[in-house]
Amino acid sequence: MTRRPLWQTVLLYATVLFWCFIVLFPFYWLGTTSFKRQLDAIRLPKYVPYYDFEPTTEHWDYLINVRGDVTWRHFRNSLIAASGGTFFSVLVGAMAGYGLSRFRYRWPVLNWDNDNISFWVISQRFLPPALFVVPFLIAYSNLNLIDTHLGLIIAYTMFNIPFAVWIMRDFFNGLPVDLEESARVDGANRWTAFMRIVLPLSAPGLVSVAIFSFVFSWNEYLYALMLTNFEAITMPIFIAGQNTQRGVEWWYISALALTAIVPVVLIGLLLQRFITRGLVAGALKG
Amino acid sequence: MQRSTRESKQEAAAALTVDITREDRVMKRVFLSPAVIVLLALSIFPLFWSLGISFTDVLRGGSTLEREAAMTGEEASGFLGLDFDVTLRNYERIFHDERLHIAARNTLFFVFVGVTIQYAFGLLLALVLHQEFIGRSVVRVIFLMPMMTMPVVVGYLGRMMFDSYRSPLADLYRHFVTWWDGVPLIGSQLDPTLPWLTDGSWARATIVIMDSWQWIPFVTLILLAGMQAIPDDIYEAARVDGASSLQMFWRITLPLLAPLSLTVILIRGLETFKIIDVIVVTTGGGPGSATESLTMYIYKTALTFGNYSYAAAISFALLVLVIVFATAFLGLGRRAVPRGM
Repeated sequence: MTRRPLWQTVLLYATVLFWCFIVLFPFYWLGTTSFKRQLDAIRLPKYVPYYDFEPTTEHWDYLINVRGDVTWRHFRNSLIAASGGTFFSVLVGAMAGYGLSRFRYRWPVLNWDNDNISFWVISQRFLPPALFVVPFLIAYSNLNLIDTHLGLIIAYTMFNIPFAVWIMRDFFNGLPVDLEESARVDGANRWTAFMRIVLPLSAPGLVSVAIFSFVFSWNEYLYALMLTNFEAITMPIFIAGQNTQRGVEWWYISALALTAIVPVVLIGLLLQRFITRGLVAGALKG
Repeated sequence: MQRSTRESKQEAAAALTVDITREDRVMKRVFLSPAVIVLLALSIFPLFWSLGISFTDVLRGGSTLEREAAMTGEEASGFLGLDFDVTLRNYERIFHDERLHIAARNTLFFVFVGVTIQYAFGLLLALVLHQEFIGRSVVRVIFLMPMMTMPVVVGYLGRMMFDSYRSPLADLYRHFVTWWDGVPLIGSQLDPTLPWLTDGSWARATIVIMDSWQWIPFVTLILLAGMQAIPDDIYEAARVDGASSLQMFWRITLPLLAPLSLTVILIRGLETFKIIDVIVVTTGGGPGSATESLTMYIYKTALTFGNYSYAAAISFALLVLVIVFATAFLGLGRRAVPRGM
């Protein structure tokens, strides 16, 4: 590596620091606002706790103790919908990805081979969800699925499957077949080989698919908005709803927003390498 | 990267030839069917159903005929004895609906301006992150944070950052105004507030900024992965031949990144066509309908106004827009990307 001139080094660090500041400052603001008294939050901006405002934990107390059941209900709804959607999309996605990687398909009439099928699957991911607003509304009200966890889980499974299939197929393509072959020589059938040998070996791929599905579902807005009214409302809808009730209570919203993003951001930070891997698999092979 | 892909493809091809036994003939269907069934039932079927609805007069609570029949007690008899009318009215209305045209223009603005900004900054940051410096892994983790954040929260963050009076940005601008007033010769008095979210064109730009804040890191991380996949010996060879770093960027990095760039831009473009949540919490589509997106208008038509058939029709207008965008972009891209890549 040749040495950089000093001005380049300075420019490099300046750019990096500047962008990190841009990324981190809003989160800092969210955090401090949740500890500000009402007056400190609605007047001129206050930046540093203890220096230009006295922090208070009353909003967190309100969120956790006073309105704890309401917060927990929406948090739980999100958790159920996102985990359910993740579980089914990972399962179905891994199966289809394995199939597309190990067998040769040729669909009659359309004359589609594996690549065509994979492309068709991933293309579903990019259909605008607005297309499904009307049919889902009608179908869900006829099936009494509106405002149920099951309804959301079905919708989230549907929109996560394409990505799951795409990543898992790519992952299985890179997995040597020798191990499952030898297992099958020893008498295991395809399904046992898949469950006992292939799935454990593909844990990294499964984890990255699971993270993506979970984050997508956790943050999802449109389906949750149209398919829930009260009982099954998820965090994004609950937070967006704070917009109109009793004016904008920034301190309360900040605390609520932090509760909603901390789990997902933590998952992201802890399992960072799986995310990058999934991103790369999704984009490079596209 | 490319070699390993080829190897794995060969391995997969070798595996494909094993596919002869009867068990496998059954199992290959077992593996693929669940996904295909789910997609057929929850994606393809609703798609055609929605297309059908768009040619009818169905509102919330049934079609016009159904509601008339319910009121008068008569047997409904529409087209072919069905209980709704088949009509092109919804598609005619698309051409006269002023609000829809504004929503379409806004959406195209978000897509084109947003994706351009995201790609430009994303590429720049990827170039920076590709250099070696202290704390690189930490920075990469920090870059993941906006992507993981709920778009609804991004909207609230944006409102806190871009409030015309109480935000840190407004504070900064007030200091600037005071300072600018005191500058000799060119200094002048400025309005101490900026209409970040209250003026139509400002609000559109602010929404693009928020969306970009969230997605620039995504572009960066993917392009960075692409840059790291470019073998070092190409750069070595160029350096031996006396190429400057600018030449290396234009002649090596950018062309080799072209296929990946196309993918990233396409993904971001298609995703931005779906934009709704950030707008809902920041401006609610306002002022007026200056920031309303197509998805938002479709949602309002279906749920607030209860006009199911028209909502279905405009969602197909959106689909046409998306397909035109994707096809045109891929067509242009294929011409721009050198052959064999």
